[in-house]
Amino acid sequence: MPWYLYLALKQLFPTGKRLSFFTAISILGVALGVATLIVTNSVMGGFGYEIRRMIIDTQGDVQIRARGLIDQAEPLIETVSKVPGVLGVTPFAEGVGMLEYGRKPAFPIIQGVDVNRVNDVIPLNRFIRVGSLDELDDDTVILSTQLAYSLGAHLGGKVTISSPLLIERLKNDEVFLPRELTIVGLFEIGHQQLDSNTVLVTLRRMQDLYGLGDAVHGLNVRISEKLDADQMATRINAALPDEPESRARSWLEANTEFLFVLQMEKNLVSILLLFIILVASFSIMSSLLTTVVRKTREIGLLGALGGSSRQIAACFCVQGFLIGLIGTATGLCLGFGFLALRNEILLLFTKLTGSQEALERFYQFSNVPAHMERADLVLIVVGTIVISTLAGIFPAWRASRLKPVEALRNE
Amino acid sequence: MSKPSSAGFQPASEVEQQAGSLRYRLILEASDVHKTYLSGERRLEVLHGVSISVHEGESVSIRGESGSGKSTLLHLLAGLDAPDTGTVKWEGSLDTGAGRRARFLGMVFQSFYLIPELDALGNVLMAARVAGKVGATEKQRAKDLLARVGLAEREHHLPSQLSGGERQRVAVARALMNSPRLILADEPTGNLDEKTGDSIIDLLLGLCAEQQIALVLVTHNAAHATRAGRSVFMRDGLLQ
Ligand SMILES: Nc1ncnc2c1ncn2[C@@H]1O[C@H](COP(=O)(O)OP(=O)(O)O)[C@@H](O)[C@H]1O
Ligand SMILES: [Mg+2]
Repeated sequence: MPWYLYLALKQLFPTGKRLSFFTAISILGVALGVATLIVTNSVMGGFGYEIRRMIIDTQGDVQIRARGLIDQAEPLIETVSKVPGVLGVTPFAEGVGMLEYGRKPAFPIIQGVDVNRVNDVIPLNRFIRVGSLDELDDDTVILSTQLAYSLGAHLGGKVTISSPLLIERLKNDEVFLPRELTIVGLFEIGHQQLDSNTVLVTLRRMQDLYGLGDAVHGLNVRISEKLDADQMATRINAALPDEPESRARSWLEANTEFLFVLQMEKNLVSILLLFIILVASFSIMSSLLTTVVRKTREIGLLGALGGSSRQIAACFCVQGFLIGLIGTATGLCLGFGFLALRNEILLLFTKLTGSQEALERFYQFSNVPAHMERADLVLIVVGTIVISTLAGIFPAWRASRLKPVEALRNE
Repeated sequence: MSKPSSAGFQPASEVEQQAGSLRYRLILEASDVHKTYLSGERRLEVLHGVSISVHEGESVSIRGESGSGKSTLLHLLAGLDAPDTGTVKWEGSLDTGAGRRARFLGMVFQSFYLIPELDALGNVLMAARVAGKVGATEKQRAKDLLARVGLAEREHHLPSQLSGGERQRVAVARALMNSPRLILADEPTGNLDEKTGDSIIDLLLGLCAEQQIALVLVTHNAAHATRAGRSVFMRDGLLQ
């Protein structure tokens, strides 16, 4: 082992003592920075991941819509189903309606789903909290939980639903009676907007409410997990017939702006947290500079022993590197340890502050999600070690400029 | 301060005559060395035309008032600083760089300069590390040297656990570690009591004689100075 490496190690971990005080402080600074970055990045990534999954779960991987209505859904479904990689296709119709429960009105989005096929694409069963999807037929309805909550509606209750068609018919002096449907289930997706404002009916009921005949608004498509949604959308588009004029869009494309904001938010927070590492690097620098001053004579002595100024510089650079390395390793342990215990820690915190209910209301995830991209992890680790090593360069330069004579003179 | 610099040559030629014959290799040769410090507006001429030669196994003591330039001269001889004019040669070569220093010379200082994080053995071995080789042979030699300076039992003690005299013994062992041709000692007893100082000088002179190492000893102590083979005096920037 070259002497400067040996001495760097000995100065960080002196014989007899486990760790020098200055070193411990520097390492702790780096470790805290890394741990914070990891936890934040991972939890934000986790929320992002959950949100993405929710989008896919409710819209499918790819959505096909026509310019107007799709009159002949079945041939189109058949065509799309034959595209390799497509696992399921389900038609849908959706629109705003007026819903009354007792005397309370609401204006939810009504989703008409094909009960036979919807589960091939959208795991609706998973979202049902009360009741069952099997009981959904043309005379029943499933409400989102928060809508039911605000209406005071419960299972077995009856709601009436009417649509814009009612007014249109009225103009022609025709009578269009609101449909009375029985509540057979409640569902919760975990998205404020959807959960407060959605009802599920059968596709046939929706076609009736909107006077669509056999037409639908679009198709939701599920693809094989390994495949890229954008590529699949392109492939499906190539298979789509000219009539009706329709287009497939991946969930990524349909939600570009939202996903961009999500990513932006995560990047911004990461950049802000990077400042913690920078602050830590200043503590490394100042601690190493203090060492250079404290050890002026020994640096002189090393010159007298035959050490070159480049080797002396290396001794301090190595110390910066090692502090970064150990700090990063400690930070990784701290960060991932915290993540492993995140739910317990959150539980403890909410117990202490008595805010458990509020928390569950605000965040639909009862467990804190965590998800880390490998690239982010590599960036944090490499970045921290590089910054720490750079922090050692200035002190190293100072030490190497110290002439042995000057250093030895302060007797 | 105003003497012509050529006067500096004379002691050197005397020295060569004293050394007697060419049987002994010339280890260290400084000729007409000048050194001036500039501190702010003031010029301080510390050395004007110092020459000195030291042969293999020879011991030379340098005495002189405080501030007369003894340390300055020693640093120039060690290649740690460059003279304004004049030359310093090690075994006839002008190369006095860091690469050669580790094996050519050992130094002992008034304030010991041990590395506080390393124990006695580690400090002695540090010389070998800087020279680039620490094997079983080197470890054994370091232990032998520590035993030779009377610290066999203290190998694993940190400098902070050693007395002043013991620290200086470690420093002496370190100076000898790489079997140098020359040892430069700058007031090695300056921080020690008389008895301890005497024993350090005994060690230094004894070991250097034993191993045919040339020694330049800067000291204030007249008794110590006379024990060297040859004594010179630093006065007005010259050796006499
Ligand atoms: N770097 C320097 N700058 C200015 N003056 C110096 C410097 N180094 C030494 N001196 C001066 O040079 C003179 C000789 O110093 P030194 O060699 O240490 O003397 P000695 O070792 O004989 O006591 C002193 O007056 C000292 O103040
Ligand atoms: Mg001095």
